[in-house]
Amino acid sequence: MVAVAQHPNIELITYAEVIKVTGYIGNFSVTIKQKPKYVDWDACTGCGTCMEKCPTKKIKDEFDLGLGLRTAIHKVYPQAVPGKPYIDAEHCLKLTKGKCGVCEKICPTQSIRFDDKDQYITREVGALVMATGYDLFNWEEAYGEYGYGKYPDVISSLHFERLVSAGGPTGGKIKRPSDGKEPKSVAFIKCVGSRDDTKGKSYCSRACCMYTAKHAYQVKDKIADSEAYVFYMDVRTAGKNYEEFYQRSLNAGARYIRGRVSKIYPRGDRLVLKAEDSLIGRPIEVEADMVVLATAMVPSAGSGELARTIGFSIDKDGFYQEAHPKLQPVETFAAGVFLAGACQGPKDIPDSVAQASAAAAKVLGLLAKTELATEPMVSEVDINKCSGCGLCVPICPYNAITLGEIQERGHHGPIKRSVAQINSSLCQGCGACVPACRSVALNTKGFTDEQLVAEVDALCL
Amino acid sequence: MSKRVGVFVCECGTNIASVVDTVRVAEEAAKLPGVVFATTYKYMCSDPGQELIRKSIEEHKLTQVVVASCSPRMHEKTFRKAVEAGGINPYLFEMVNIREQDSWVHHDREEASRKAIDLVKMAVSKVLRNQPLQIATIPVTRKALVVGGGIAGMQAALDIAEAGHPVILVEREASIGGKMTQIDKTFPTMDCAA
Repeated sequence: MVAVAQHPNIELITYAEVIKVTGYIGNFSVTIKQKPKYVDWDACTGCGTCMEKCPTKKIKDEFDLGLGLRTAIHKVYPQAVPGKPYIDAEHCLKLTKGKCGVCEKICPTQSIRFDDKDQYITREVGALVMATGYDLFNWEEAYGEYGYGKYPDVISSLHFERLVSAGGPTGGKIKRPSDGKEPKSVAFIKCVGSRDDTKGKSYCSRACCMYTAKHAYQVKDKIADSEAYVFYMDVRTAGKNYEEFYQRSLNAGARYIRGRVSKIYPRGDRLVLKAEDSLIGRPIEVEADMVVLATAMVPSAGSGELARTIGFSIDKDGFYQEAHPKLQPVETFAAGVFLAGACQGPKDIPDSVAQASAAAAKVLGLLAKTELATEPMVSEVDINKCSGCGLCVPICPYNAITLGEIQERGHHGPIKRSVAQINSSLCQGCGACVPACRSVALNTKGFTDEQLVAEVDALCL
Repeated sequence: MSKRVGVFVCECGTNIASVVDTVRVAEEAAKLPGVVFATTYKYMCSDPGQELIRKSIEEHKLTQVVVASCSPRMHEKTFRKAVEAGGINPYLFEMVNIREQDSWVHHDREEASRKAIDLVKMAVSKVLRNQPLQIATIPVTRKALVVGGGIAGMQAALDIAEAGHPVILVEREASIGGKMTQIDKTFPTMDCAA
């Protein structure tokens, strides 16, 4: 991460979103909106005094998924890159009620800017790499049998990651959220939202089998005399050294039970899981102190909208659509826009990194050229026929048509009139404008009316 | 100068030839107005297949070419290059899809062959009206934008930057790192994610 921030060729714009992309391959113009951070990061040294003194200390930390607390002025996490704090406007007393302002008073470099506003940044680029990642499936809304999220000790696997992380809210000690006790028995349920047509998604999220094997191992490793139960449909370990890793969890004593959990309910301060062991064909009941759900990966919030803004497609599940599932896995249908990571489909880290390097290679192939050849099969306007009605302008999906003015010789001196003009770099030759033209002034080169009529005649006459 | 069309019918191994009578398609094509040469070949996209096109252009002084084979999405570029190598403007070429739109979707040999002949007829009629088109060039801004600063975005940005091109990395959160930074250890090596 630090390598990214320090690289002389990388301009890092964080707390920002791409809101508009115009142009075409080799020549995109991108508008980026940077949200107000209320801290001047050029002046700030990242000393952290403001975070110590901020009186609003009891905000649920999003990074720890609500398992820990944070202040209103904070860093996303302690090792954030860039390592500068920003103010959460929703909770800051100064920004919500006009009171406080402690951070401004104590900041040794006077970096606090309560009047900070949205900033719009424009950049010209030749290629785009989409790497918008994933979110976790919202299981609380779909799985009533697991308690709709009302049992505090039924958590997602990402919550578990925070509990087991040395930098997390428990300092790496596995403690259950309800009472902070160390769970002696942890049950894991795989495919929560994945491979479930009725409540979730039809696809497999690919990484869950492996991280659940890791979690079960971590329970056995960190908690003495513990039990780790894993409820599974299948164990999919297709990856280098993955099967061996799964065997390691089994050898550590993780107990794999093939079957779906149909119900979770509390008994005392523990949780009861009712399930079927489909290998012996009998219903079983397991008591656990904590339950971890391996929830599906879904496209990152807002990613679909971004695809529409830029002009490429998404698939039936909302992931970014690759141009070809085998031969063009990092290209999109928009030339010059490439895909990396889980935005294209659920992926683990090795696959994300591999695809990112593949996308980079495609970008480098493009940027190695100083100019690009364009497809000549584009639409053209016969200005003698064009009436300048402008019907074709909104029809064009690539914004390639504009109305321009031309000057002609008339009987009483020069006259001006509007005609459609086509930007041949933007035009993709789709032909949508041609039938819209009432004056028959538009034609797509290579697919002219004359050519198409000749084809029909050949078939019919 | 009179127009001289060459028609090349691909068998695609057995993909096309098992359903479509390719020899008959070529024979019928040869009778069409403007067509001076028609032939079949096992794999028209292969090197010898492309060489056949190139040599035939020279030998029969072809001015237009029709290839009846697979989807243009598969090999239009391949054949445009072959035609260009033969000295013809690559847009004086038409491709007929007798695989995805014919042999792969029909079983009746007679019907499928007749359909292939009709499709070739249409393409020949069209190619006679094709105009040579010229490729234009556009400049390239040699910079890249990466949207998202997780593991994938960071890797892509670093690779492009290392190759010497400026990269702009945009991240929604105030810090880069993405989901990966929330993860403790990573499989299968159990090394630290952060």
